[in-house]
Amino acid sequence: MKHILFNELIGLFRNRLFMILLGVFSISLVLTTYFGIIHNNKQILSQNDAKEHIREQWDEMNHTNPHNAAHFGSYAFKPITILNSIDEGINGITGNVIRLEGHRQNDVMFSEASQSLLISNFGKLKPSLLLQFIIPLFLIFLAFNSYSSERESGRLKLLLIQGSSLNKIIFSKIIAIWSIGLTLLLITTFIQFIFTNSLFNIDILIRLILLFLSYSLYYLILISLTVFLSLLFKNSTSALSLTLVLWVMWVVFLPKIFGNTVEKINPLPTRVEFQNNMDNDRSKGIDGHNPSNERKDELIKSTLIQYGVNSLSDLPVNFRGILMQADEEYGNSVWDKHFGALYLQLTNQKNIYQFTGLINPFASLQSLSMATAGSDMFHHLNFLSQAEYYRRDLIELLNNKWRDGDWDENFYKSIKDFHYNSPSFLSFFWKYILDFVFLFLWSIILVVLLKYLTKKTSIV
Amino acid sequence: MRVFNILFYEFNHFRRSSAKVLTYLIFVFACIYSIYSGFELQNQQQTTIETIKNEQKKEILLVSKFFQNMSVLPGPLDVLGYIPTYATKHPSPLLPLGIGQSEQYGYYKKITNWSSTYDNDMVEEIANPERLVNGNIDFSFLIIFLLPILLIIFTYNIRGFEQDMRFDKLIEIQYGSISKWILIRFIFYITLLLLTVLCFMFFVVIVNDAFFSHISEIKSLIFLLLIYVLFFTTIFYFIVLKSYGSSAIAFKMISVWLILCVIIPGTVHQFASIIYPTHYMTDYLDSNRKESYEIFDLPTDSLYVSLLSIYPDLSQTKHAKENNINNDYRRNALSAIINHMNKSAINNIEKQNELKNQLICSSYWFNPVSFIQNKWNNYINTDYYSYQEYRSEIQKILDTKLSLLNFESWNETEVTMVVYEDYLKQLNAFME
Repeated sequence: MKHILFNELIGLFRNRLFMILLGVFSISLVLTTYFGIIHNNKQILSQNDAKEHIREQWDEMNHTNPHNAAHFGSYAFKPITILNSIDEGINGITGNVIRLEGHRQNDVMFSEASQSLLISNFGKLKPSLLLQFIIPLFLIFLAFNSYSSERESGRLKLLLIQGSSLNKIIFSKIIAIWSIGLTLLLITTFIQFIFTNSLFNIDILIRLILLFLSYSLYYLILISLTVFLSLLFKNSTSALSLTLVLWVMWVVFLPKIFGNTVEKINPLPTRVEFQNNMDNDRSKGIDGHNPSNERKDELIKSTLIQYGVNSLSDLPVNFRGILMQADEEYGNSVWDKHFGALYLQLTNQKNIYQFTGLINPFASLQSLSMATAGSDMFHHLNFLSQAEYYRRDLIELLNNKWRDGDWDENFYKSIKDFHYNSPSFLSFFWKYILDFVFLFLWSIILVVLLKYLTKKTSIV
Repeated sequence: MRVFNILFYEFNHFRRSSAKVLTYLIFVFACIYSIYSGFELQNQQQTTIETIKNEQKKEILLVSKFFQNMSVLPGPLDVLGYIPTYATKHPSPLLPLGIGQSEQYGYYKKITNWSSTYDNDMVEEIANPERLVNGNIDFSFLIIFLLPILLIIFTYNIRGFEQDMRFDKLIEIQYGSISKWILIRFIFYITLLLLTVLCFMFFVVIVNDAFFSHISEIKSLIFLLLIYVLFFTTIFYFIVLKSYGSSAIAFKMISVWLILCVIIPGTVHQFASIIYPTHYMTDYLDSNRKESYEIFDLPTDSLYVSLLSIYPDLSQTKHAKENNINNDYRRNALSAIINHMNKSAINNIEKQNELKNQLICSSYWFNPVSFIQNKWNNYINTDYYSYQEYRSEIQKILDTKLSLLNFESWNETEVTMVVYEDYLKQLNAFME
């Protein structure tokens, strides 16, 4: 098998067109990875400038009281992960700034997609675009006639007479073409490592390894499927046509059709409905039986009892700070109810979509590519939740200060900015288990089918 | 006669090729699905807008009833504060032919004294972001990206098959001009595709009764479609003419599709993002936060000066003759000044966006797919500029509202039912 594999590779390297294409793809990957990193760095710089600017404003703010500071608020900027340079995922279409202020939870704003005319339907020219769309096509074209050309030239018979089995010949061919795909993948990961290694940690390394593994499995699936079809059809043109149709279905059609279907099965509320429901709960009480005035009266009573006084004017603290925090906590429970349900619904949609990996391994690859790059929906929702929890802590701190009094410039300066703790991939691993399972399943099934077919195939 | 023969044989070949018929049926099914989704989106937007309008009508009716029972005429502040002001972007009747960038922006907005065109509610509808990344099977997507693939599947083995089977010389002997023979076979498929697409387009036009109201847009869309199909056909025709074997032809055709539809737009996208990275709109954040808070602390005389710089005619009003700004009017003055600041910050944002757009437009000569895509979206009112226009309309309504609030209160107008109706007219003028 080693000899066949070696000869296969030599055969490929002797082909001038192959060498030209390999060179073009290698250079393209080096350049796109490099420019992806440049773009990332530029975006990080721009974000850091904006963050510093916002912090300066906070430090220079003329605070009359902490409640005004709560209205003044802060901003949370969606961080840009290192591997965003490989796969931007949803980052181009989601907003990247949230205003964090008292009394209200805002939406993330200013998406890149809303800032200009439409350019590309398949995303920017990042390594993920090449690795998901272009390289697979190159591999299909390498694989589609690998069997039929040997058969038609009579070389296959010669190899079989020399003692090789069809099984070994086929798998050597698959491994040879797969190794080309792996080399291109290695180039991408190597360039990424070279230019960003100072920022690497264990988590990034794990992410990069899993990204490599996901693409490797996908390439194995695609090459095996192409060879399988060429074995099945004997005629290389039919095999190529069917593989191309399948590729178009996987990459272009099915993700859109399944994405839309999932949203139809599990429809999301419109913004008006969502906001009206939130407003209703905010004003009527979370269970509909607890109007805000009653809550206020109860709070006054309990506060008077807690401090052992008869009227609000006798309180040693500022009651408005207590009231604001109580209102904030009530608002938080409304947020938890509605946004909790929305996030759950989005998660359910994603889970249903992940099952489509059973018939479309590209869906699993896409999901894992975004996941390992930290640019998928789960990471986005995690950012939104962390921003909201920071907002709650910030407003609570300000309300408590308003309640207790004694604030000065140093108090405001001591308040830390929002810092996003990027979740480790392993903590999210179970969310993507289906994607991994489907990629493995596809690989195993195709290998088994190929083994079966090579036994059944007659060469004569 | 020979032309008809070739066309007839091609029809028979197509009819007997199950793979081609199946692909064609998939395309037709995708067209039906995309148009259905487009209608659904259109209906959803119209229903939401209707709901908003009904709510608005109810609120207006309620205030009108108050008028009937009032013995003392109210002031403008009491009335204007209770006029529910909305701006909506009605979907074009051609929306089922392409949803464009409509999922990136909001299409309705409640306008208050403190609104701006970059408010939180101006962002897109609630949607699954991963679904948005993959996009929709919308009609324009099918035309721009899948139609060329369908053309590839239909034409990659024209002559290639004969070459694979080694009887291409026979064709030459039978028909003489091979290039003409290829062209006629191409014409069959182009006609089939164009007729299919045009049928769907006219179906949408008829269902939405848009023929006369949108005739120029329809003509432009058909023209775009023809140019686009001809563009790809010409390239594929020469590939067939100059290549040998169906595999080589298929490889070259797919490569051209990838270069034109994926690589070039992706490269321009990446280049534009490096030159103009996503901006964080700090100017707007400033005017929305720090500068707004500074305005709140302004002493009355400075506030008056600032207000006069926006509304010079305010000095001619009754209240201007008094020495102090009435506390009730102060908040309106503040919102007018903040609106003025927001507008200048937003102008900067729009200018920055325009620079990026100019860069994108300058790439059209080598990036025809983006050109067709944006032109198509423009005719359907779903491109960036259509939403920019919507933002301008929101700004106009807001300016009118703030101007009314300040002038009417400073003039100490007594609001009768007639005046109230005039307010309504002015504030809702942009809604229909």
